[in-house]
Amino acid sequence: MAKQLGRDQQGITLRGSAEIVAEFFSYGINSILYQRGIYPPETFTRVQKYGLTLLVTTDPELKSYLNNVVEQMREWLYKCIVQRLVVVISSIENSEVLERWQFDIECDKTAKEESAPREKSQKAIQDEIRSVIRQITATVTFLPLLETACAFDLLIYTDKDLAVPEKWEESGPQFIANSEEVRLRSFTTTIHKVNSTVAYKKDSFP
Amino acid sequence: MSEDCNDEWELSKENVQPLRQGRVMATLQQALAQQETSTHTAVQLKKQEFESEIRFYSGDDPLDVWDRYIRWTEQTFPQGGKESNLAAILERAVKALNEQHRYYRDPRYLNIWLKFGNCCNEPLDLYSYLHSQEIGTTLALLYITWAEVLEARGSFKKADLIFQEGLQRKAEPLEKLQSHHRQFQSRVSRQTLLGLEETPDENETGLLGAAEPQRSSLADLKGRGKKKVRAPISRVGDALKASNQPRSFQTLTSQQLSNNLGFAVFDENSASAPEVPVLTPQPWTAPPAPRAKENELSAGPWNSGRRPRGTVSPGTGMSCPLPSFTPYVEESAQQQVMTPCKIEPSINHILSTRKPEKEEDPLQRVQNQQQEPQEKKEVVKYCKEKVYAGVEEFSLEEIRAEIYRKKAKQKAEEEMQAIAQKKEEIQRRIEELEKKLKEKENDKQQQLCEQLTEVLPPLGLQGFTSSSAPEVGEKQPHLQSESQGSEDAHLNKPSCSEEVIQSPDACPGTQRGKVFLDSEDEQEEQRDEASLGKKDGGLFPPLAPNTFFSIFDESSTLANQNISCSADQTQKSARRPLAVLKPSDSLTAKENIPPGASDELNGVEPLAEDAIVTGSYKNKTLCANPEDTCDFVRAAHLASTPFHGVVAQRVPAPAFSQSVLKENCLEPQSAPLNQETLVSEEAYNEALCVNKLSPILEASLEDTHSSGGSVSSGSSLSGVTQISAIKDLQIPEKLELAQSLPAGADSGGVSENITGDEVTLLSWGAEQRKKLLDPLPESLSAAPDLYLEPAALPAMELEKDVELGNETYSIKREYWSNEEYKMFFAISQLDAKGFAIKVYSQPVPWDFYITLQLQERLKTDFDQSFSEDCSCFLYPDGCALLHRDINRFTLGDVIRGCKSITEEVILLVVYNLLGVVEKLHKAEIVHGDLSPEVFFLGDRICNPFANDEMARALKIVDFSHSLDLRLQPRVSLPNSFPIAQTPHGKQLLGKSSLPYQVDLVGIADIVHLMLFGDHIQVYQENCIWKISQNVSKTFDNDFWSKLFGRILNAGGKSTVPLLRELREEISDMFDSCFQEHLRVSLLALGETFLLENLL
Repeated sequence: MAKQLGRDQQGITLRGSAEIVAEFFSYGINSILYQRGIYPPETFTRVQKYGLTLLVTTDPELKSYLNNVVEQMREWLYKCIVQRLVVVISSIENSEVLERWQFDIECDKTAKEESAPREKSQKAIQDEIRSVIRQITATVTFLPLLETACAFDLLIYTDKDLAVPEKWEESGPQFIANSEEVRLRSFTTTIHKVNSTVAYKKDSFP
Repeated sequence: MSEDCNDEWELSKENVQPLRQGRVMATLQQALAQQETSTHTAVQLKKQEFESEIRFYSGDDPLDVWDRYIRWTEQTFPQGGKESNLAAILERAVKALNEQHRYYRDPRYLNIWLKFGNCCNEPLDLYSYLHSQEIGTTLALLYITWAEVLEARGSFKKADLIFQEGLQRKAEPLEKLQSHHRQFQSRVSRQTLLGLEETPDENETGLLGAAEPQRSSLADLKGRGKKKVRAPISRVGDALKASNQPRSFQTLTSQQLSNNLGFAVFDENSASAPEVPVLTPQPWTAPPAPRAKENELSAGPWNSGRRPRGTVSPGTGMSCPLPSFTPYVEESAQQQVMTPCKIEPSINHILSTRKPEKEEDPLQRVQNQQQEPQEKKEVVKYCKEKVYAGVEEFSLEEIRAEIYRKKAKQKAEEEMQAIAQKKEEIQRRIEELEKKLKEKENDKQQQLCEQLTEVLPPLGLQGFTSSSAPEVGEKQPHLQSESQGSEDAHLNKPSCSEEVIQSPDACPGTQRGKVFLDSEDEQEEQRDEASLGKKDGGLFPPLAPNTFFSIFDESSTLANQNISCSADQTQKSARRPLAVLKPSDSLTAKENIPPGASDELNGVEPLAEDAIVTGSYKNKTLCANPEDTCDFVRAAHLASTPFHGVVAQRVPAPAFSQSVLKENCLEPQSAPLNQETLVSEEAYNEALCVNKLSPILEASLEDTHSSGGSVSSGSSLSGVTQISAIKDLQIPEKLELAQSLPAGADSGGVSENITGDEVTLLSWGAEQRKKLLDPLPESLSAAPDLYLEPAALPAMELEKDVELGNETYSIKREYWSNEEYKMFFAISQLDAKGFAIKVYSQPVPWDFYITLQLQERLKTDFDQSFSEDCSCFLYPDGCALLHRDINRFTLGDVIRGCKSITEEVILLVVYNLLGVVEKLHKAEIVHGDLSPEVFFLGDRICNPFANDEMARALKIVDFSHSLDLRLQPRVSLPNSFPIAQTPHGKQLLGKSSLPYQVDLVGIADIVHLMLFGDHIQVYQENCIWKISQNVSKTFDNDFWSKLFGRILNAGGKSTVPLLRELREEISDMFDSCFQEHLRVSLLALGETFLLENLL
């Protein structure tokens, strides 16, 4: 982190970009889990990040799981082989998919470790990320109430010829039948661009 | 999707109420966007649509409408609030669907109730009500919601009970209920566990909430307390839930806060509690909301939410054993007296005024309404349920409009369906009427004639003067008579386009005196009657529905008013004053009213309710054309009752447009009586009166000539000023009106009856037809193919296009023409079909009439020999007949074009010719001008693919000279037939010849032409007519000589059997060999013509 801040002035490198994006995923997923009430709100604590007060889990198991995922993401982001991260929220009882948070990642594969840093201030990126997180928070205005206990699942889309690491398994896309999709804001580090979308079950309302 | 779109929902996220089922993003965006631009029209329209659907729903699931309405409202008004009116909608829905037991198990219905519960002050009441009514008791949702509310209020036990109840009832879906119950249990047990673990601390409420203390919104932040100033902290959310568990009084607080009120209302009374030093414990950090407090005070259980609010005695009901409550009450009472803060009491009062609202708990209203019906006494005399069915009040007009629209829609559909049926019906009616007409025809020919003659354009009183010129027994054609008419044309000038003076030619009106005498006598009689006070029911004769053919009976005048149309009556009555200056004629002014009145009746639509509602009532400007004073006069008539009815004589209404003054046509033969006096008197009258009209009427040009009539009556009566005289006359005139009118009609009828015979004997030509077809017999005017065209007859010339109806036709050929008739061949630009267009310079659709008559009289025999698809366009100055599917060539072309025609073809043609004429004669119609030119070649000749059985070789469409012997039985003088003018015609047709014989001569001539290429030449030998040509020399067939012999010597015998016999003889010759020859010949003939056509 400190290292990154130091580089702040020079611009965005591939490693730094991967770091930023991975960090966003960490906070983003935490926010979703809190906002959507997947875990009891008591198990979250507040932290200041991106100029916002964000809630992150205090549950050790969840923490380690998420750290594990984010670590993996960081690596893949660095290699520019990840295409998409999806947070699937499904009912515990009938494992019906209720919500699907999708973060599409566009990697600039020309960016290499040794290539020159890109021109974009960290503040600008943070502002963009902040607006995304804010939107995630604001989605309660239209998302349906999750009436049953829910679990979440993380899907990561990578390039094809990737060996599935340990503790990971291949999975289907877990789409929602008859869904309403709302595109959220996106942000870019100039190397990675993240587009966010949330899909939810459509009401029977015509 | 652009980011801009996203902004919308994000920017107003605070203003969007979360929905259980989520929101449709598109709707949300739209709603929010609309809100900004404040264009609510679409929303309003949709709302209106729902509202009207609720009222006029005819299906079997009214809940569906409500359900959709509510869902739509939720989605469309993200902010909720007053605008959405959701609470009202829910209330209405619940009321409307009340007692509908079939919905009691419907989740949609329960949903509405539960949503409604959220609007109620006390949802718990509602739930128990639902439970007691067995509404939704089979559904898990009820128990889940109920338990949730109870849980939120901390009544875990009760919540559990509710769950138990639901499980016991096996509410569907049971799994959902069970899972909710499990979750509930786990929550409760966790909280209990936590509560046991944690010693409740005053300052540190809750486990995790402790770190970030939460403050309830809108709570008072003002420091409180006299000794220790401290801000009251209202803990909300998890902190409270977690911490309140162990203490019963804390439950109270949590109840208040979770009461779905949107905000906790500050109550000074309770907030002031901390002032009491004893009351340091936490519960009072949160000021109890007044209503919640009341609830607690009044009764423990929740089912008495609508208890009337008495004086507040907060302490009494409190079950809590804490002693601190008694001082709390006193404290609040004291505070009002010695309050240190000035603002708070006022706030308190304002807030406390909300209490009575509790009485208006929607649930209570619903319940009240449900109990009401039993004690209902008043009967609503309007469609109250429709007015108040939805949320919005509909005005009666709106309801009517809706009903009308529905009806109109239905009607339109029905009309579409019934159109064929109607057509049939009309056809049938036409036939009936014509049958009727036939029946009466013979008896009343003269009357009929009289009425049919009025085809000519209308004429004002000018017509009278002109027609009064001595034109005794005049039979002169048009032009000549017009010039004669111009002798006294100082009045007779065709000043208005409508008043083209065609009358003089048709009106050798010399019978005038006689007529007048008649009418005068009658009038006198009637005047006497009237003055005797015979105010019988005839005051207003039924003028509008003119039955044209009622039987004339002099004795019963009243019954006969209907004989002529109102226009006739006017004119007849109008002419009387001119004729005789007797006091009795003062009636005329008044007599003019009825036509005027009828005009009004025709013009003004009945003010039907529907018309008012939809505004479909034609909003006719009274005076569209400033130059046209007709409407003004009409308006004056409407506005002021004393009206002398001059209007009538102006003849402004279209009903009159084609009628002509009867006198002009009807009295061609009357003896010249008193003409000089008449004229002079007229002149005198006019001179007298013109200046004495009211300025308005004077100004109106239509009335100037009529003034002669109207005013003369006045002057003739008393010789005083006219208008006052007229006014004075009103009442007696009215009385006499009814009687005088029929009298007028009768007198006219009498005269015409007398004259009619002579007329027909003398002239049956164009004039008579005009008479016969004026007014158009109903069979004609109702014919679907008759089009009345207001414009002038379009000019038709060769190689030009002409527009008839809505189609354009290019005229390709002119068959023949004379001053009156023209016959063209035209091709429709639409489908290139061939048409024969016949133009007649008079607006007399004679051909059309004959065609229709043939159609009716021949029924199935009306075949391809006649024009099966004929339209008539009737113009004011002529008429055009359009015959569809006509082949271009006539028999004349064949005769001219082919040097020799094979005998087979001739036989075929003659066979058809005989058939056609036989049919005509059977229908009692004489064609009168049979010549090769009038026969178009039929499909039998022109279309090699035509069905031999069906197709005819000839088609006859032109009936210019035809005679309908049913209509004109007395015509016995065939001299005026064109054939009679030919040399052979002159020879063959004598004075006493029957009209049918004319056609026989025509046949003979045609056959002769085909056989020998020239006209027939006859000579008489031993009283037997023979042809000069030697038939046997040319043809070995002796049939031809037989044919000529029989046709030429038919004498007075009936023609139909003769023709049939001849035809049968020909058909005997039609053997297979003949048919083969015929086919070859026809092909050859067809080729000839095809070539010619190409050239």
